Amino acid sequence: MGRYLLFRLGRTVLAAWGILSIIFLLTRWAATDIGLQTLQDAPTLGRGLSVGEQTRIAQQVRQRYGLDLPVFYLSVLTSDTDTPAWHPHWHWNGTRNQYHRWLRGVVQGDLGNSYREGTPVTKLLLQALRYTLPLTVSATFLATISTVLLASWVNYYNRWRGLVLAILHGIQALPLFLVALGLLLLLANPDALNWFPAFGLGDDTEQYSSWSEELLQYLRHLVLPVFSLLLVALPGFVVQLDGAMQQELREPYVATARAKGAPPVQVVRKHVLHNALLPVLPLFTELLPSMVTGSVVVEMVYALPGMGRLFVEAAAQQDLPVLLGVVLLVAIARLASQLLADALYQWADPRIRLHI
Amino acid sequence: MKRILFGLLLLLWSSITGCSPSATSATPDTVRIRWARDPENLDPLIANNPSSYEVSTLLHCSLLNISDTGRNIVPWLAAASPQVERLGDSLMLVSYSLRPEATWDNGKPVVAQDVAFTLKMMNCPGLPTEMDQAMFHFIQDIRLDTTDSRRFTLVCTGQSSDYVRNSGDFSILPEYALDPKGSLRSVSIRELRSGAATAYASVTSFVQRYQAAQLAQHPDNLPGCGPYQLKNWQPGRFLTFTRKLKWWGDALAKAPPILRAVPKSITYQIIPDAGTAMLALRRGDIDLYPLMPAAEFARLRRSDADRARLSFYTVDSYECVVANFNTRQPTLQDRFTRQALSALFDVPGLIRATQQGAAYRSASIVSPRVHPYYNDSLPLPTYDTQQAITLLRKAGWREVNGQGWVRKQAGKLLELRLSLSYRAGDPALEAAALQFRAAATAIRIPVDLRPTEASLLVQQLREGTTEVSLRSIGGNPAAYDFTPLFHSNSTSLYNYSGFGTPASDHLIEAIVQTPDTAQKTRLLRRFQRLLYTERPIYVLYFLQYRIAAARRLGRVPVTSIKPSYRANAIDFSPVTK
Repeated sequence: MGRYLLFRLGRTVLAAWGILSIIFLLTRWAATDIGLQTLQDAPTLGRGLSVGEQTRIAQQVRQRYGLDLPVFYLSVLTSDTDTPAWHPHWHWNGTRNQYHRWLRGVVQGDLGNSYREGTPVTKLLLQALRYTLPLTVSATFLATISTVLLASWVNYYNRWRGLVLAILHGIQALPLFLVALGLLLLLANPDALNWFPAFGLGDDTEQYSSWSEELLQYLRHLVLPVFSLLLVALPGFVVQLDGAMQQELREPYVATARAKGAPPVQVVRKHVLHNALLPVLPLFTELLPSMVTGSVVVEMVYALPGMGRLFVEAAAQQDLPVLLGVVLLVAIARLASQLLADALYQWADPRIRLHI
Repeated sequence: MKRILFGLLLLLWSSITGCSPSATSATPDTVRIRWARDPENLDPLIANNPSSYEVSTLLHCSLLNISDTGRNIVPWLAAASPQVERLGDSLMLVSYSLRPEATWDNGKPVVAQDVAFTLKMMNCPGLPTEMDQAMFHFIQDIRLDTTDSRRFTLVCTGQSSDYVRNSGDFSILPEYALDPKGSLRSVSIRELRSGAATAYASVTSFVQRYQAAQLAQHPDNLPGCGPYQLKNWQPGRFLTFTRKLKWWGDALAKAPPILRAVPKSITYQIIPDAGTAMLALRRGDIDLYPLMPAAEFARLRRSDADRARLSFYTVDSYECVVANFNTRQPTLQDRFTRQALSALFDVPGLIRATQQGAAYRSASIVSPRVHPYYNDSLPLPTYDTQQAITLLRKAGWREVNGQGWVRKQAGKLLELRLSLSYRAGDPALEAAALQFRAAATAIRIPVDLRPTEASLLVQQLREGTTEVSLRSIGGNPAAYDFTPLFHSNSTSLYNYSGFGTPASDHLIEAIVQTPDTAQKTRLLRRFQRLLYTERPIYVLYFLQYRIAAARRLGRVPVTSIKPSYRANAIDFSPVTK
């Protein structure tokens, strides 16, 4: 097991490096020129600047961000017009290139600074995780508990199964933005039920007499976003787990358990559920990357500055260091979720042997 | 056990839902404003989005500001409008005197030395101030008055009246906070620009001090002479500003709106989604919703309940939506084709459909609200497909078997087939694109719609790979330098139409250079006629800014320039329904 985990870990690091390197090179290739973009953002549109001045200022910006360096160790010389396209002239740039600097920073835990804010990317990621994790971890926890309870319940009270599954399929058909907006209009609307706050996590004008009141206010703000995520995630999990349980219920060991006089609740809980979890384990481990990335829709609708919003805003404004930082985190979470799935498989079924 | 669990859940639920929502209710003298995005960076020299500009105006003061109508400049930190003296044919001296009442938080007066320090800081090599260098490149030097510490003269290259206005459009920063020893005093602006200043140890240590201050995230390290200070900033959530207990502006007998500071606290709530923001306004979680989308604004105005608790304002802006014709493309090289395509936009219909009627038409890039400069002799182009056909024939296009249009160009047969690019996700632009395509298809011009991500679109426009495009242009009624938009020198940067002839270039340069208003009016009118004829762009409409506000704020001072209101001058005076 130890050797296996070490091997998988090594493979994970390699895969993360490969993914990030490709994305790094793609973003550098496709990104807008930040030097020209800065001039564009100036409110007077570079009024009266000569072409020479524009070029100088744009170059100054590129230098500040290290974008004046070659992108990679190798580059193709374009000035040589005699060289045919099928036989490019390569130039070795040494270690003085953007990729090398970036990779060295990543290895040292420095993901660079945001173009927009000038803040270290690691700080921005930690800030965003502060908002995302409570939201996604709560939603994941509730989704897992609810899935197990609901799937067990419908398999025990079989007569409700059809109705519950039909309702779940109906909810599954709804896109997340509709669910989030629907909950907002239903439960935070002065014209309907004004039970919950409409956005954010409160502001500093709110005065609390005790920590418990502050905690309750915090929970009030989290209810609708968490419930939106829960509602969207739950149907898929329950349907999958229910399908697996239905299959298990037809197995001979269930008949044996019943013949021995085990009560139906015990059959479902102790025998069927444990075995039925195996095929749905990857579904749960897949939640790990989602927990880190957050939910763009929910964070936009409920005005929460989490990872989803950070990612979308970084992509829209081509803030490449932030974009790469988020991708790094997601890649690590995704690969870790695969590792976790392997480990859980072995826990759920000791017959499974993991080897290289 | 089940009952206990159920009871606990019920208790938790009732505690959560029953928690008093009045905690979010506003206190008197507090204004809560919706922002769609975070300012991200609060360094006044790096401000590059509307939110960070607005923050700058609360924390800092510049020499001049634009009046509420946007047409005039008004003195802010300056005691009066500057005196201008033109030297020879290329230099201009702009002299200012600072308000004697103006002081920093430590009680020291704001003096000319602070202005000099700010200008030097902008030009300091190693600081991220390239944008300021681009904007204020025309200020070559500053001369301090030896007899009066509040008087100074800016030496400017170029004699444009726009430069006079721009010369006072930057936040003045305190020398004592960032450079207490005055280490930049011995270095000139020219030396800083040339890069020679990097040899000075004083400059290097100043740059290090500036970077250590982290002004982008900690504006409290830079006390301004504005009326507010930052109390709390939770990035992505909210910013709260409180009014200084003692502010120099209070001593002014008759303060202009720009120097009033009524609200004791101003909170900006970051709510990206328009639907959520509208709900927050209706719930009373925010007091002011600026730049409201047309459909939401109309819906609120129709509701009796909302009319009772909210006030609604619209103000003509100088931001326009235009169709841009890339004149470098073979199909769009002649003006008759561009005129023909303009006739395919049903502008009144678009204003009704996308702006709920809240926009106004113009025959030129100059707003009709700017009376002396707008060329009112130009007729508004009409939506007329027959006229479009006539103009296409005039341009040499001929119809082939009712299938499409072709013409011979440079010995080749050219087909009239267009692509129309616009920013993806903008419903107003999308509606205009769909309407144009429908009209073009009716006269057998195939149009390929290309909704494009914003930064990619800018890149394509800059590279000249688009054909027809739709975009908005933020205007300024006090600035008439069309160099970036239409000069042939700017085709690699902002002149997306690629338009530019020696005559038009000469006209643009003459408009910039003339200090005489009557002459400027004549030249501007001539330039508008030239654009009208050549049609590198077609102005669809000028936008109106829509603002909804809680009645408790009183009459909200609205402005034609973004952010479209003056938060500092909201005075809570009662408004009749």
